[in-house]
Amino acid sequence: MSKFSYNQEALKNLNIEDTSILDSLVDFESARAAHLKKPRSKVDKRISLKEAIAEYVSDGDVLSDAGFSYVRTPHQAYFEMMRQGKKDLQAIGAPNTNQSYMINYGTVSYSHNSYIGAEMRGTDRNYSRQLKGGKVKILSEWSHGGVALGLKAAQLGAPGLMSKQMLGSDIMRHNPYIKTIQNPLKNDPDPVAFIPALYPDIAVIHAQVADKFGNAFIYGPVVNDSALAIAAKKLIITAEEIVPEASLRYGNGKKGIVIPFIYADAVVELPFGAVPGNMPGYYYWSRQWWEKTMRYAGPNEEKFIEHFNEWVMETKDQFEFVEKLGGAKWVAEARRQTKAAENDNEDIDFSYEEYTVDNDPGIYY
Amino acid sequence: MKSDTPANPLEMLAYIISLQIENDSVVYVGTGLPMVAAILARKTHAPNITMVYESGGQDPILGDMPWSVGCPLTWRKSAVLMEMAYSFGQSYNGYVDMAFLGFAQVDMYGNVNTHHIGNDLTNPKARLTGSGGNNDLSSLTEKMVLVGLQTPERFPEKVDFITSVGHLEGGNSRQEAGLIGKGPVAVISPWGIYDFEPETKRMRVKTLTPGIPFEIAEQTTGFELLKPEGEIPESPMITPEALHILRTGVDPNGVFTTMPS
Repeated sequence: MSKFSYNQEALKNLNIEDTSILDSLVDFESARAAHLKKPRSKVDKRISLKEAIAEYVSDGDVLSDAGFSYVRTPHQAYFEMMRQGKKDLQAIGAPNTNQSYMINYGTVSYSHNSYIGAEMRGTDRNYSRQLKGGKVKILSEWSHGGVALGLKAAQLGAPGLMSKQMLGSDIMRHNPYIKTIQNPLKNDPDPVAFIPALYPDIAVIHAQVADKFGNAFIYGPVVNDSALAIAAKKLIITAEEIVPEASLRYGNGKKGIVIPFIYADAVVELPFGAVPGNMPGYYYWSRQWWEKTMRYAGPNEEKFIEHFNEWVMETKDQFEFVEKLGGAKWVAEARRQTKAAENDNEDIDFSYEEYTVDNDPGIYY
Repeated sequence: MKSDTPANPLEMLAYIISLQIENDSVVYVGTGLPMVAAILARKTHAPNITMVYESGGQDPILGDMPWSVGCPLTWRKSAVLMEMAYSFGQSYNGYVDMAFLGFAQVDMYGNVNTHHIGNDLTNPKARLTGSGGNNDLSSLTEKMVLVGLQTPERFPEKVDFITSVGHLEGGNSRQEAGLIGKGPVAVISPWGIYDFEPETKRMRVKTLTPGIPFEIAEQTTGFELLKPEGEIPESPMITPEALHILRTGVDPNGVFTTMPS
């Protein structure tokens, strides 16, 4: 018998019969047990990306996205999961479009959705096609804030939180984990949504800098990552640069947060680890690459596979990817753009030519 | 040049949206037209607004238009950059006055669908974005303004999926479901501005864009649209000053305000 009592209406609406597939995400006991086994001492945890993905990502794991939108997403780690032929992951998206291309390769087979799409770059027609083709099964629907509270509950050390989000909506009828309950301290009717603490199996968090023990410094939007770092059963830290521990210590005047080394299982030095996304302080995202992906490749299965074969399966690592984006020229422009966006440099022009099939720029700014 | 041409429908829409924003308020903005409108408001009648973004950025130094809600331009030199849960927590705790929502469908009670078209989430005709922050803002923020294009399919009697509760089934049903805030106060389409009748909470014409007769609004709505007493007023037209500021100081490259060709 399952240890959890899921929302029955949602199970029915989502056609989920065997609920064991849902258990891991809310299994506090196994998360705590995994956390208790992690090394406590400051040991050098540096390994290569290939080794980290091979060792820490298991078929069927619940994989939570990190970063947000196109910012600080560990795209290059996801690409490596595809190259290694990982299977049947459950993807929690922020947005799910950061992993929906993994469905086509069988790397992701299940999704916990909060947002699917690439904002102004377009809707995710590939996800829609995979869903209709039965290649991905929805396990739960959320709002962004609902996922944020589930992870925050874990970080705060609470079995769950009560919220006013999602009440009365059809999201409640399509999420097995969330229940509407009466606020126990109120006399008048006061429905609240109980959101359980969430414990993904694996997360990759890409930081600007980290030390070899896994202390990881994040600058720019943290979004859910301070919570995700402590919740995830397994945590891979990837970083643009490896720095000495002393440079991460309190009082250096930097703005940002540090994820403590005790959460980290592995540390990977991975320059350009968030490409083709935005890495604050390092590079702006590749708008044209996303336009090509969403508008040219997205609507057509053959083109989509051709596109991801070319950019992911037939590239070896992030350096080859950056070469294809435009190499040193791309790096210089992407660096200049993120610095101008973060600071008040009005002398940099952000305008660019949108990608169209007839206007493939060759360099994807 | 563009500066001499009359305002296009997107520019007019941006102006109408901007007028919903009161000075000295805190406004939650997403990418697209609402962001253009908020910046226009800040540069015209509402210089003291504080803009909040889903990325956690708050009150950034204005620069170019952000390209995404996570874009560095949403937190450019911000004093505060919050985590996501805290950002929505501000709405719950009464520190956000207004938010804007887009929709694929909106019904007569202002319930919003951004999930899918069809009657089965697991096998839709088309899967759309899902909630993102849409539901959070709708559930928590004091006042919502819904913005989108108007066709009978986009204004159906019943939405295919309630992503975000507006006035649910009308009357007090929003409060009874446990939600807080006033819910949607306005729906803005190119045809006009709609509000909600106070008792039934059904959508009602407030003003119509000059040149748009009620019949156009009626024919592009899949439910019975309520009418106010007497003659329906016209929506305000964009002023030459506001148009100039929009074209030179808000969206000079026309990223969000150029009509698709």
